[in-house]
Amino acid sequence: MRRWAHRTHLAGLLALAAGAVCGRGGRAPSGPLAVTDDAGRTLTLSAPARRIVSLSPAVTELVFALGAGDRLVGRTTWCDYPPAARAVPSVGDGLNPNIEAVAARRPDLVVLYRSPLNETAARQLERLGIAAAVVRQDRLEDVARAARLVGRLVGQEARAEALADTLTRLVTQPAPRAHTRVAFVVWDTPPMVIGAGSYLDQLATLAGVENVFHDIGPASAVVALETLATRDPDVIAVLRDSAASGPPAFARRAEWQVIRAVRERRFVYLTGSLFGRPGPRAPQAAAELRRLTEAPAR
Amino acid sequence: MKWLGLGLVAVGAFLSAVLLGPAHVPLAGALSSDIVRTLRLPRAILAFLVGGSLALSGAGLQALVRNPLADPFLLGLSGGAGLGAVVALALHVASPWALPLAAFAGALGAMALVYRLGLVGGAALDPRILILAGVAVGAFAAAVTTAIVSLSDAAELRNAFLWLWGGLSGASWDSVRLVALYAVLPIAVLLAAARPLDLLALGEEPARHLGADVEPLKRRVFLAASLLTAAVVAVSGVIGFVGLVVPHAMRALWGHRHRTLLPAAFLGGGALLALSDTVARVAVAPRELPVGIVTALVGVPAFAFLLRRWTAN
Repeated sequence: MRRWAHRTHLAGLLALAAGAVCGRGGRAPSGPLAVTDDAGRTLTLSAPARRIVSLSPAVTELVFALGAGDRLVGRTTWCDYPPAARAVPSVGDGLNPNIEAVAARRPDLVVLYRSPLNETAARQLERLGIAAAVVRQDRLEDVARAARLVGRLVGQEARAEALADTLTRLVTQPAPRAHTRVAFVVWDTPPMVIGAGSYLDQLATLAGVENVFHDIGPASAVVALETLATRDPDVIAVLRDSAASGPPAFARRAEWQVIRAVRERRFVYLTGSLFGRPGPRAPQAAAELRRLTEAPAR
Repeated sequence: MKWLGLGLVAVGAFLSAVLLGPAHVPLAGALSSDIVRTLRLPRAILAFLVGGSLALSGAGLQALVRNPLADPFLLGLSGGAGLGAVVALALHVASPWALPLAAFAGALGAMALVYRLGLVGGAALDPRILILAGVAVGAFAAAVTTAIVSLSDAAELRNAFLWLWGGLSGASWDSVRLVALYAVLPIAVLLAAARPLDLLALGEEPARHLGADVEPLKRRVFLAASLLTAAVVAVSGVIGFVGLVVPHAMRALWGHRHRTLLPAAFLGGGALLALSDTVARVAVAPRELPVGIVTALVGVPAFAFLLRRWTAN
């Protein structure tokens, strides 16, 4: 009975996701667009952007989900989803952007991840006459706002609205009861785990998975191994790129054997491109986390 | 009396490190508990060894370069260790011992370079040139490290700094055995140098007149202190403050004679780090503080108190 309930929940998540993708693209409104970004700066575009540079993988995914992927003329080295994004020229790693490399793509809109360095970069781009929007995309609730913001800038309001609705419903729907207790271990010396402030913790809640460090407020924190041992997670989730294989290196260290999940080799591997960036694929990420924790890799 | 006090502090620090922690372990079942046996006991011993080694190296180097600001990392070892660790991570070496071994190799490389530079003036190891060479090599290694981190694709490289800032979370019986076996020789060399170091404190020329073999002594102390620090960096990263201030605190209590200063520094450093690591694990549980912060928070007030007493007498 409980299992069936989970299944229907999963089906619901996927249906929500499908609904977002099928949303109808709206017609671009005429006249100048004035939008306030997440840094509180107002930018004005005379028409929806036609040449876009995205300096964050999450934004790249969002632009494609809004049906404006063909207007991307620049991306970061990290932008690997959807696969079509790889065809777009890279302009660097997006953390401390090379303004000249970005300007050389002759964009009419640059979207950056919100950080102090990037806010400086946005001001510099504006001095060059290039509209730049700074977008915060750290948590699930940021995605809906980011979708609306980017949607306006690229003239896809209706699609953005549909996507934002889906994500908002995802956040507000009642979470399923947790059946697996997971610790997300993101680094081993010192042991660093994911706390309640992180997007991964939100995904866990959606997936009906209990983060054993949900009581830690920030996105991540260093903990002692004995704390990890006494929290006794059923499964340890590790973020990694797809190139790596086999259990993480710490699984072979003697002191880690105190933790039951390490002794029993109960690890799940989360790919960074799906689980590391809050974006339109949040429902898929939650469903995938659910599936993985039901049958962890040995 | 003073020795009894220091001994009690050391034993108390060690016991608190074993008995206290974020996990609740009943006192009666402490020794049969897995957490105590495989985590806390090796971690407490390692903390004691690391803290003692850092303070001992610091005391030796302060005497060698005759500079109160000398500490075990002054001579470029932290920079070299950091570079080694980052290279290991950038090359995706997946062995659990890759990080410590690479850091050790990096520290040894920096040490060799500093040693060679210290000899540029001829056969005599010039303390002033040693300090300058240490700072220069350290800065160069740090620059290369930062270049690798900022140019590389691997996201885990940023975590290399977390490791480098120091901590004892990697403690295991393996690391305890390794350090204990390895550290015996440099510790013995440093303790045996106590009497000639007293002479060196008078200046190189007077020491030579009083019959000290100054050049071999300087080399021995430099190599022993650096080799000891390199091993410590490999298992615990760069833990600041212990090697700088504990020797001064012990000098305030015991005076300048190295026969008593060196063993006292070892005990005092061990006690400070064992105590600081306990605080680091317990104070903000379930989270953990970086131990280097705690050594400074616990150590600076204690040091200020000692300084006041010292200058009052």
